[in-house]
Amino acid sequence: MSEPKDFKTRLKIAKKNLNDEHSHESDKKGLFMGSAFKLGTELIAAVAVGTIIGFILDTWFDTKPWLIIIFFFIGSAAGMLNVIRAAKRMQKNN
Amino acid sequence: MATNPMHQFNVHKIGPEINLGGVDLSFTNSSLFMVISAASICFFLFLGTKEKKIIPSKIQLISEMLYNFISKMISDTAGSKAKPFFPFIFSLFTFVLLCNMVGMLPYSFTVTSHIIVTLIMASFIFVAVTIIGFMKHGFKYLSIFVPSGVPALLLPLITVIEIISYLSRPVSLSVRLFANMMAGHTMLKVFGGFVISLGFLGGWLPLGFSVALTGLEILVAFLQAYVFAILTCIYLNDALNLHH
Repeated sequence: MSEPKDFKTRLKIAKKNLNDEHSHESDKKGLFMGSAFKLGTELIAAVAVGTIIGFILDTWFDTKPWLIIIFFFIGSAAGMLNVIRAAKRMQKNN
Repeated sequence: MATNPMHQFNVHKIGPEINLGGVDLSFTNSSLFMVISAASICFFLFLGTKEKKIIPSKIQLISEMLYNFISKMISDTAGSKAKPFFPFIFSLFTFVLLCNMVGMLPYSFTVTSHIIVTLIMASFIFVAVTIIGFMKHGFKYLSIFVPSGVPALLLPLITVIEIISYLSRPVSLSVRLFANMMAGHTMLKVFGGFVISLGFLGGWLPLGFSVALTGLEILVAFLQAYVFAILTCIYLNDALNLHH
């Protein structure tokens, strides 16, 4: 049943599909729940990292509690930035 | 305690205690399930690539589809420059997927439901991506912390925000996988406990929930492995193609 010529054309088509960067035929319905969770963790992670950095710097410079407060807000800003970026990426994919 | 929903996450030693220079390197049930996952990937791909037929057998077809899927994902998200990293991302995806899926079997242990495992994987990716970025672009890589078109007055603040945003990548990557797996498995166990405690008369409703949740968990297991791999690709893309 295997005809080498037929196989070669099929291989060509498969390779072309592989290199085609604009083909988005795969449905992404299942991704919605994942993306909702993704935005949440993006926000929380940046706030947590910012606060931890503030805490470490506070113990270094002995300036409790000022740096932890400042870095909490900077971390929140970074979290929002992360969320906006993730949302933009998701929009681009759709 | 069979009714404790957190009991399934206990790590215990299997076999003798191994102590190397004060570091406990004993073989645990966590390591056992990592070995099982890795070995089943190797076994499956070995079977799939043993006979390279033109008309593939089912197992060969599945491994080829897996290869195509990841290859397409890399070229879609990170471009052709990321092709050399295909083996790494392929191993990462299959390992996380198999760890999640093996964890779905009854009486098994979910390796990825421990934050230390996911955090180590995410930190490794983070450090590797940073090194790749510096190797490709030198000190110009630092320019990802300085977005263009920002007033000079705001620049210090924006740079600090960007650095925190960059540092939060491994945290969000690892927490997402760990929290999804742990929450799902705890929920399954809680509903399983309801079935037992409500008995024959009332236990059918939680049993139905349990069945539905199992299906959902299988979806989540696949999805989280996919998200883990695709975010690695996106970070790789940031490091390889420097633009914002």
